[in-house]
Amino acid sequence: MLVLLSRCLFVAAIACSCFAVVHAVAGPAETAQIKPRQDKLRDMGGALKAINDEIKKGKLDWDNTILPNTQTIKERSGYLLNWFPKGSGPESGVKTYALPAIWQKNDDFVKLGKAAQAEALKLDQVAQTKNGDALKAQVLATGKACKACHDNYRSPDYEKENEE
Amino acid sequence: MSSANPARDLDEEATATVAARKQRVWDGPTRAMHWLLVASLGFCWWSGVKNELEYHLYSGYAVLWIVLMRLYWGFFGSSTARFTHFVRGPVGIMNYLRTIHHRDSAHSYGHNPVGAISVVLMLGMVLTVVGFGLVAVDVDGLYSGPLSSYVTFKQGRHLAHLHYHWFEYLLWVIGIHLVAIAFYYVYKRQNLVTPMISGSRTVSEAPEEDLKHAPVWRFVLGAVIVSALVYAVSIGFYF
Repeated sequence: MLVLLSRCLFVAAIACSCFAVVHAVAGPAETAQIKPRQDKLRDMGGALKAINDEIKKGKLDWDNTILPNTQTIKERSGYLLNWFPKGSGPESGVKTYALPAIWQKNDDFVKLGKAAQAEALKLDQVAQTKNGDALKAQVLATGKACKACHDNYRSPDYEKENEE
Repeated sequence: MSSANPARDLDEEATATVAARKQRVWDGPTRAMHWLLVASLGFCWWSGVKNELEYHLYSGYAVLWIVLMRLYWGFFGSSTARFTHFVRGPVGIMNYLRTIHHRDSAHSYGHNPVGAISVVLMLGMVLTVVGFGLVAVDVDGLYSGPLSSYVTFKQGRHLAHLHYHWFEYLLWVIGIHLVAIAFYYVYKRQNLVTPMISGSRTVSEAPEEDLKHAPVWRFVLGAVIVSALVYAVSIGFYF
């Protein structure tokens, strides 16, 4: 009985180490995505803040603030879905708030990502018309599209730590 | 001349005695502000955890309004609500602490000197948490605080983390407040919750001190001033 138990433990230990090795070699290419992806997503949040600040002030500087920022959001969002290769989740060992659900429910994740891209594209188009009310509505729609993904696929722990 | 109905006389006497033994402790506004603050903070907590920031903003304004009103009422409100009525210096606090373990010590009228510390601490901490929230930046840049346009994205994110952590500290202080109430109820057999709901407590002797109500107009005046201030904050002072 004792022999059987020790054999089981031995096999389990081997299995665990294999698993660890496989994950350790998850690939530098995938893990290398994590930091730039965080920076780019943060830039997009910053761009949306810059637009919202103008709306708060009630004075929209279209050429110097609104348009450059809607362009940033549009361009960055175009690459959005390339930033999450399989293996760039928490299992990579690199600190990330990306949840494993991104790859478990990848169809839904991709659908939400594409919806956000569509809203970001529309945001830039609306900004070009320089219509304040339309911009306000589209900023809200774009932010909600971003949030839809964040609600399900980003760990709520991001609120606890400074994301440096 | 005696009444035709002695039983009724007795009833009236009993009612009069009971009425005399009720001591008014808290006025309506103080009680309302206390329980509204509990409800609003609860909603803030829920909406913050759920990342429902649109609603979180509104409940934050409600908390700001209540705390500012409570501070105003601490200077211009009814007698027991005023800071001068309950805030004591180190000597007063130490004297109170010396007898706190006596099970039969007299019931304090209004906040006791130690409870006063928690009142001031909680009001200060709630105001701090709200203050951080006003300038906090949502990581998605969508529902940031109304004054967030005065800080950069990075500063605002840092303030958002402070907003989060100071709320945790606040929860600990609220925990201590609840433990203290339980201590008074179980150990000293003093019920502090009922007066905060009904406004009065039952006393065995005729009360020495009674509540001096502040006039209604003073509450209305404060409400108008505080509402204007909260509105100005909510639009980021961009008139």
